[in-house]
Amino acid sequence: MHMAPMNHSLALKIGRDIGGFVILSITALCIGIALNQLRDHPLPLRYASKAERLDEVVATLGDTQTDPLRSGDSPRADVRRISLDEFRKLAADQKAIVVDARAEIYYRLAHIPGALPLPRNEFDKYYQKYLTVLDANKNQFVLIYCDGHSCKDSELVANALSRLGYTKLAIFGGGWYSWTEHGLPQERL
Amino acid sequence: MNRLKDMLENIRVLLILRLLVGVTFIYAGVLKVKDPNAFADSIASYQLLPVELINVLALGLPVLEIAIGALLVVGLCVRIASFCTLILAGVFALALASALVRGIQVDCGCFGNGATSVRKMWLALGRDILLSATALVLYYENAVKVILKPCQPSSTV
Repeated sequence: MHMAPMNHSLALKIGRDIGGFVILSITALCIGIALNQLRDHPLPLRYASKAERLDEVVATLGDTQTDPLRSGDSPRADVRRISLDEFRKLAADQKAIVVDARAEIYYRLAHIPGALPLPRNEFDKYYQKYLTVLDANKNQFVLIYCDGHSCKDSELVANALSRLGYTKLAIFGGGWYSWTEHGLPQERL
Repeated sequence: MNRLKDMLENIRVLLILRLLVGVTFIYAGVLKVKDPNAFADSIASYQLLPVELINVLALGLPVLEIAIGALLVVGLCVRIASFCTLILAGVFALALASALVRGIQVDCGCFGNGATSVRKMWLALGRDILLSATALVLYYENAVKVILKPCQPSSTV
């Protein structure tokens, strides 16, 4: 390794590198925005939270439902949180529908046996896919889970179902983490 | 200490470090480009930026990571690329540290979206500190010791 003669101070060099970083960042941003326009569903420039995005989806789904009870502005159901034991009892005794609110890739890797996928980030696609099943069993409980207590997706999906007219809803707060921690059976696709 | 210093000055070691960091950044960038919504949610979970900047960052940062990674892998503009790596890895580490201190559980968003846990956050912080240190070594070798111009091709480091 050789030391070439220094023509500029180190501070000047760092200054030029900061300039290079700024130019590279602005160029990357322009490319990113341009590429975004090529997507089927471009990301809007203003961020909308998970809850806001799901609300928009539910409003659209509610508009397309012929059943007036399925309006996107139905009164909210009382959603309660249940423990693992309550979840297992409800799922076994009352033949409740279990839905997995995690992203679909995690559902495919493993899920609670018998659970249907209803991922928060693809709610409209999977809700319409399983609408007949959900509607046929609307007098039974819909039990929703996601990763665990820190995951909010089960809450968001429960709120969405509530707005779509489902009244018997419960969230298994412990979620997938609690289920696997107790060594309970898993199902894979 | 002298052995560590000698090892870090070894051309092959520096080449491996440069390629490792470059590939890591390309991989991370590609995962984020595939799901910008998820990356935007990760950025929002840190509760650091105003709403107006979140999606802008979600669109620009992955492209920047891929560009920096590609420059490091091919060995072009290594001085600027290693400086950018140092800045980005340092900012990621600071953001994670800030979330840990404030008791906010976040999905780092570093390599696509995943489940959150404090343990994963600490692991991600350790990884970002390691990346920053590696970038610092690369920058030092290219900007201080060898005194390459910003985009002078590197045949050594």
